[in-house]
Amino acid sequence: MTKRYGELVAVRNLELEVRPGEVFGFVGSNGAGKTTTMRIVLGVLGADAGEVLWEGSPIGFETRRRIGYMPEERGLYPKMRIGEQLRYLSQLHGTSSAEATAATRQWLDRFGLADRSGDEVIKLSHGNQQRVQLAAALVFDPVLLILDEPFAGLDPEAVDSMSEVLHERAAEGVPVVFSSHQLDLVERICDRVGIIQHGHLIACGTIDELRGRGPRRLWVDAPAAPSGWAAALPGVHVDRVDGTRVLLQLDASADDQAVLRAALATGPVHEFRRDQPSLLDVFREAMSETRVVAAS
Amino acid sequence: MTRVRSRFFLIGTVLLMALLAGYIVLQALVFSRATTSVDVGFVGAANALAQPLKTVAATESVNVKTHLVPDVASGNSQVEAGRLDVLVSGDPAGPAVTVKDDLNPTLAATLSGLVKQVALDEAMVAGGVDPSAINAKVATATIHLVVLDPNAAVKLQRQVVAIFVAALLYVALVLYGQFVAAGVVEEKANRIIEILLSTVRPRQLLFGKVVGIGLMGFLQLLLLGAVGLIAATQTHVIDVPSIGVTAVLGALLWFVLGFIFYALIFAAGGSLISRQEDLGAVTGPITMLIVGSYLAYFWVAANPTDPLGVLLSMLPPFAPTLMPARMATGDAQVWQVVVAIVLMIGGIAAMNWLAARIYFNSVLRVGSRVKLMEAWRGRQ
Repeated sequence: MTKRYGELVAVRNLELEVRPGEVFGFVGSNGAGKTTTMRIVLGVLGADAGEVLWEGSPIGFETRRRIGYMPEERGLYPKMRIGEQLRYLSQLHGTSSAEATAATRQWLDRFGLADRSGDEVIKLSHGNQQRVQLAAALVFDPVLLILDEPFAGLDPEAVDSMSEVLHERAAEGVPVVFSSHQLDLVERICDRVGIIQHGHLIACGTIDELRGRGPRRLWVDAPAAPSGWAAALPGVHVDRVDGTRVLLQLDASADDQAVLRAALATGPVHEFRRDQPSLLDVFREAMSETRVVAAS
Repeated sequence: MTRVRSRFFLIGTVLLMALLAGYIVLQALVFSRATTSVDVGFVGAANALAQPLKTVAATESVNVKTHLVPDVASGNSQVEAGRLDVLVSGDPAGPAVTVKDDLNPTLAATLSGLVKQVALDEAMVAGGVDPSAINAKVATATIHLVVLDPNAAVKLQRQVVAIFVAALLYVALVLYGQFVAAGVVEEKANRIIEILLSTVRPRQLLFGKVVGIGLMGFLQLLLLGAVGLIAATQTHVIDVPSIGVTAVLGALLWFVLGFIFYALIFAAGGSLISRQEDLGAVTGPITMLIVGSYLAYFWVAANPTDPLGVLLSMLPPFAPTLMPARMATGDAQVWQVVVAIVLMIGGIAAMNWLAARIYFNSVLRVGSRVKLMEAWRGRQ
């Protein structure tokens, strides 16, 4: 899909797929187009080009009504009682009165807010407001969850309980899409990740796929080796030197076993380890790649 | 619902009803001639005037309490002390009337009439004529009353009711219109709009808001109308109940039409802004239009047949206050009411298109105030 705001192209030929039972993390800088993409999926915004497909056919209003959505800036009536508000939102998404009441009770129990049902939203703490906000996205048994920055400003305990709920939903076959700035969190929680930059999806895959995407790197600690021992090896490039340790970057033609033999030839080898990039490294890498592309 | 349940709303409604009933009762007291009570002292022969004065004054709503006073000196001191309002002494055909500062005009007229009658009777007796025969004959003489405008009193009542209707509609339209604008801004400011729009179409959301708040207003107005009607007929501020019933029904009809029209404008205005603090800036001009048409009613009331006023009362922005008021006075002709209603429905249709477009284009835009032209063009 593509979405323009006047001159600005917010989302450019973005294409991504989220599968049943999957927790999908949507990562990108501020203004990258995450929220716009989510709003288009929800039908709150219209795309200028492209379409949203649900189980292979264009998504309809009835399906959209069953999407659980948590907007980035929290959206609840501050002076409405929590229980009443959840029942109302549940029924708004098409449940019967009895179902709404039952689901409201169930989720308030789940989040430990059963005794606050009669309180106004405004009287809750930030963390509890967030819980109610998530409950608002869950009270009508959604077929898809779209959560915009659901973990922003939460303490680790709240993050854990919330991600537990998301995984439970996913285990029941509900695709869960959420955006976040907290890459460590995304790395921990998500099955797959999409990185978006300037409206482009620049990387998408499982965490392992994304990590594997970058150049192969090796940490080698050969204390007896003369400096520059690795520079002559074919396809090997010294990335960083840290005392007696070196970080080597191997291109496609290089053979890591040849590197190990060369290291052993210099004397003892205390460390020989594949460097696993964190999602943050992958993210930075992907960002700098697009910057290079954009510059050229 | 939250708004209806709020204590503020309930108290407000009860207070308004009490105010309305109080206002009508007050009107009743001011309009009815209150009975005044006067203490009159009589000395000696002047006491012959006591009974006739009491009888005649009673027909003029003055209640005379008569006191027999032994002499002028003690009478004067009682007047001085305020125990008596009036002291009548001396010859019944030309008595001295003593008061502290001024004489009740009704009493003055009654007294001088009585005194003239006494003088006339004495003169007739002196001339050898029987006063009772003459008086009986005089009593049969009467005027023949020709009433040119028998509805003058009713007309006045109608005008009072009409001004009241115009004021009520003006207040109701401004109040509930602002509720709509505030409701739209509230949903925008809290971002709940995003959740709502993902499950409800913008048109449903807009109309839900207009209908919900409109029903609340209608209910409140209905209660006020009922209380007003009962109070007004019970206190005889309105003698003819049909005037009140027509006025209330007209007011309710025009509240519905006017409210839908203005609520759409208020909703569009509310969608342009993101903070409650900016509400005044967008509702101000809309409110001015309603206040303006209310004020225009005073001119229309003074010039009921002026074509300009008739025209204004049929045009959508002014009709909701002017037309029900003109209907209450009975100045509005049936065709004018029909034309006004047709134009109003057309106005609502146009506003539905215009306001809905502005609302859809700006309700998701958060931040600085959306310029009207941008909202119109739909540039996001």
